[in-house]
Amino acid sequence: MQTALLRLLQLTSPSLPIGAYSYSEGLETLCEQGVMGDRAALQSWLTHELTAGSVRLDGAILCRTYQGQDPIAWNQWLTASRESAELLAQSLQMGRSLLRLFQALEPDWEEIEPLMAADCHGAVAFSRAAWRWNIPLEEALLGYLHSWTSNMVSAGIKLIPLGQTAGQQVLLDLGAVIEGVIPNICSSKITN
Amino acid sequence: MADLSPPPLPNTPWQGSLDLKFAADRTRVTKLTHCESVAPYKVQRAFPCTDGTSQVVLLHTAGGMVSGDRLNLTAQLAPKAQALLTTAAAGKVYRATEDKTTFQTATIHLAENARLEWLPQETILFDQARFHQSLRINLGAGAQVLLWDVVRLGRTAHGESFLEGMWRSHTEVWQDGRPLWIDRSCLRASPELWEGAEGLGGRAIVGTLVWIGGGIDQEGFEGLRGLDQWPGSCGGMTRLPYGMVCRYRGSSSTEVRRWFVQVWRHIRGELWHCPLETPRIWMM
Repeated sequence: MQTALLRLLQLTSPSLPIGAYSYSEGLETLCEQGVMGDRAALQSWLTHELTAGSVRLDGAILCRTYQGQDPIAWNQWLTASRESAELLAQSLQMGRSLLRLFQALEPDWEEIEPLMAADCHGAVAFSRAAWRWNIPLEEALLGYLHSWTSNMVSAGIKLIPLGQTAGQQVLLDLGAVIEGVIPNICSSKITN
Repeated sequence: MADLSPPPLPNTPWQGSLDLKFAADRTRVTKLTHCESVAPYKVQRAFPCTDGTSQVVLLHTAGGMVSGDRLNLTAQLAPKAQALLTTAAAGKVYRATEDKTTFQTATIHLAENARLEWLPQETILFDQARFHQSLRINLGAGAQVLLWDVVRLGRTAHGESFLEGMWRSHTEVWQDGRPLWIDRSCLRASPELWEGAEGLGGRAIVGTLVWIGGGIDQEGFEGLRGLDQWPGSCGGMTRLPYGMVCRYRGSSSTEVRRWFVQVWRHIRGELWHCPLETPRIWMM
């Protein structure tokens, strides 16, 4: 239990060198357009993203690939679903960086090679890494969503800009949203 | 256009269907070789374009779709067949009764090197409509599809907003059991979603144009980006691993139609090298 928790903290830490901090997923444009001007707008936007946005799809596929469903096929599903070239490049870069890191951390893990060859998305790499580290699925999903949210809040703090305390308040409030969407994501139906 | 009085309700919902087959002859002229229809869905007319493409105009004879209606289209394109499908008029989906959803589905198989243009006129969802549209396209080797879809949420010409109801849309393009383009969305209407920046932002018209299977290089893509009907901040365009996509969220169906028609003309003329007259029913 303690080991799994420590590993989850490591996998979701901002210090994990996969470059998450360099992306704002459109927040920068929204700020420039004047659409995203305050804390309420940020919180509303992120609430909607968590309940209906593409990070929700990431989560649903994370659950499947964690459980051993064909990661290459679901990875292809994510590629076919990505809305723009920029979002696709971001997701693939984060997946590639995470797999490279695990090549060093887990040199005996044979699964990495086929994932690397498939242009792996961040969510798929994360799910397999969490599985490798024996982190329970729901906790891994919670960690993934928290990490994504935390990163978006950091981007909002810089771009809007917001004070650090306001940012932490948004993150605290969104905790309930994350907890709320987890059962829904775990049981979501995606069928071919 | 549409008046505000409720449409007449038939006792039983319509279950229209169409089954079409296209084949190219030795001179590379495509013909509609099979057409089986169940009212109120029918082919209004089918005729060859100057480049040999078979242009088919689909018609919904009842004028609009009521709660519980189902329209189903299946089509097959033989190797090298080229078909352009459009509709005779804007589609209308009336307010749902008893929460019954209206369904419109299309499943189209393209054999190798076939080409499909799926370019219907806009669909208007009345407030409180419940509509599920689904389009699935399977591409053979070397086949490609250019499609668009424009939806108006609420009869905005009458000042109506889409505050209640549901719009679900599944568009998928597959090849050899692999998904190339998956576009699934579900909009459960609410005042917050209508107003909110992350929802419709008060803009009633949503449009998507996708070209999958042809492959487009950066130079070709830059040509499309440079078109003068680009609707500014209401439009976005991006390259995909298997093609390209344009998105529109705005307030003018004329604006989105002009942009999409220009993109379509550009792809036809500059990238496929077979320019075509704009179908008269799209005239604006």
